Amino acid sequence: MRVAIDRDLCVGHGLCYMLAPDVFHDDDEGYGQVTADSPVAPDRVEGARRAAGSCPERAIILSADPTGG
Amino acid sequence: MSPAGEAQPFTFEDLPVRDDRDAAWRLIRARGPIVQLEPDVALTDHALVEAAFRNPAVFSSRKAFDSLGSPLPLVPIAFDPPEHARYRHILQPFFSPRSIRPLEPELRRQLAELIAPLPARGECDFVADVASVFPVQAFLTFFGLPMEMRDQFVAWKDAILALSDPSGVISGEEADLRHAGELFTYLSELVAARRGVPGPDVLSELLCLDGDDALTDAEVIGLCFLFVLAGLDTVTDALGFGMERLARHPDRRQEIVDDPALVPAAVEELLRLDPPAPFVPRITTAETELGGRTLPAGTRVTAYIAAVNRDEARYPDPYGVDFHRGDNPHASFGVGVHRCLGSHLARLEMRLVYEEWHRLIPHYDIAPGFSPTVKFPRGTVGLEALPLVLTPGAPR
Repeated sequence: MRVAIDRDLCVGHGLCYMLAPDVFHDDDEGYGQVTADSPVAPDRVEGARRAAGSCPERAIILSADPTGG
Repeated sequence: MSPAGEAQPFTFEDLPVRDDRDAAWRLIRARGPIVQLEPDVALTDHALVEAAFRNPAVFSSRKAFDSLGSPLPLVPIAFDPPEHARYRHILQPFFSPRSIRPLEPELRRQLAELIAPLPARGECDFVADVASVFPVQAFLTFFGLPMEMRDQFVAWKDAILALSDPSGVISGEEADLRHAGELFTYLSELVAARRGVPGPDVLSELLCLDGDDALTDAEVIGLCFLFVLAGLDTVTDALGFGMERLARHPDRRQEIVDDPALVPAAVEELLRLDPPAPFVPRITTAETELGGRTLPAGTRVTAYIAAVNRDEARYPDPYGVDFHRGDNPHASFGVGVHRCLGSHLARLEMRLVYEEWHRLIPHYDIAPGFSPTVKFPRGTVGLEALPLVLTPGAPR
């Protein structure tokens, strides 16, 4: 699975790096940034999904990894 | 505007928020995603709120907050893009998690000091003794102001809230006007004294910004006013509501007593159920379509956040308290570019209160015979009082 943040939608709620600190981190202004390697390691997929599901802006984009990750 | 068959129009004041806010949100949700609720058009659906709030050129925050009649620029809420983006870019680093985090040990120490004497009394009013005091202390700590100003700030805050209630009820009481004037004078002198003087607090840092980021005295005073207006009572109110829910759900409370790591999830769930600012207004700048309706220019469109947060499709058992919800994309800090600037500080304050309180006072109940009531009608809502009896039990 691949993960990305839509920069046009993110307004810095910060739930992604709060819920999945091994996938996301904050920048100086509090916006979320993707830390994890792409594709996301299997043991971090659940965290990425929770972050995506809890983002009030629906700014986190999950996509299937074409190589099967 | 009401389609045929819609129930009798009702008004904001008719909502039973005072005695049963869950019933109020159920009532408004039952009317559909977009509802004529005098004097506004009410949105109860997350997707419609997104559609409106992501289009600030048409759904203006500036116009909605003009009505407060503030003589100061209420930075940044009373601005639309592009001015708004400039303010947010300047301010966000000061309100970001990495700027807020270093406050945690000091705020936790202050809280323990507030809470520790309470068990010996056997009872307290959580709102008066903790929830209304701590956010003011956090504000003073954050802005580097002396703690002796606490009770004075409480009085000033109450006065300016009375003057500028977002529901549009202007008191105009002479004492309130005098207090607002005192706060303005205090902040003006403070800004003058700290201008250009380096210091570790947010106010000093804001006043040392230069170049394109430099803020005028009026902008900084306006920001301070907005903080007092939006950042104190909201946390008080969220905490009062949260503790009421915890008092009424001892099983849920026991979960966070047993496992303090659940507190961040509890903060989110309690905020989902009880946003202290449940009515977020915008005013249309042009005729527009939303949710199958044509809204003329100048329409006041209000997001009913507590209703949005009870969408059955997003939240199984939306009226239940559940600290194990997988996804909790609540809108209590707003949606879109005006996302609450203070959300990270507010979350820290709430987490610390729930952690310290339950560490020191795991057993409590609402005072027998007392029914908490909500201050309403108002733009922001909270409990008037929350008397608790504190039963002995081993603190952790």
